[in-house]
Amino acid sequence: MANYSFPLDPVFLALSDPTRRAIVSRLARGRASVKELAAPIAMALPSVLKHLRVLERGGLIRSQKIGRTRLCELEPAALRTAEAWMVQQRAMWEAHADRLEAYVEALHAQEQADGP
Amino acid sequence: MAHDEELDLVISRLLRAPRSLVWKAWTDPAHLKQWWCPKPWTTEVLGFDLVPGGSFHTLMRGPGGETSDNPGTFLEIVPRSRIVWTTALVANWRPAAEPWMPITAFITLEDEGAGTRYRATVLHKDKATRGSHEQMGFFDGWGTCIDQLEAYAGALR
Repeated sequence: MANYSFPLDPVFLALSDPTRRAIVSRLARGRASVKELAAPIAMALPSVLKHLRVLERGGLIRSQKIGRTRLCELEPAALRTAEAWMVQQRAMWEAHADRLEAYVEALHAQEQADGP
Repeated sequence: MAHDEELDLVISRLLRAPRSLVWKAWTDPAHLKQWWCPKPWTTEVLGFDLVPGGSFHTLMRGPGGETSDNPGTFLEIVPRSRIVWTTALVANWRPAAEPWMPITAFITLEDEGAGTRYRATVLHKDKATRGSHEQMGFFDGWGTCIDQLEAYAGALR
């Protein structure tokens, strides 16, 4: 689906996936438990955990186990850097392109189905 | 177009739809508002005059009453190929009052196979010199949109 012309360092790799971008933007509004992060994604928990590990390796988030709950939050140090600002911009524009992609492809499929 | 790797973003996608349809989805406000910002956020197109100097003004509304107001203007229109707009100016080239984060964006469409190569190049004024407070403000406005992306795309597919 995606085609990136930017170097795929760990940060960009972490954000090269729409699910991970959704997680990052959710965490931008405050920390959340793994369960809370998984809820809107409609994905099995192990898959969500896998995405979270990629994000942690990219230094974008950190997590902490409190009792039986694992809480995730954005890595504040990462957020303060100028690079992080570009990462945010990129996530926003990639998501924008994702939406256009989904929309035009659905529209096209519908036109094909409806016939000329 | 000259790039500054530090300040510019290039987003590229191969869309499985003909160029005329992608153009329509971008330039018909009734279509644009469907994808510009995902549910439950909604996009109101307050100005869409597809000529250089014409208004391009979107207002996004969040479920909690949050808004993100983005007035701008088109700079260049090449039918079915290219759209350039900026938020540094508003309609009729008037300098924007207080652009929160001025950008100039180039959208280009090219035939590629049976589909369309979509490129968005976004030029920024400077690297973030803003503090984390403003960064969070940015997220409130835009990040929440991204939050809903997958559910929205999933429902369409």
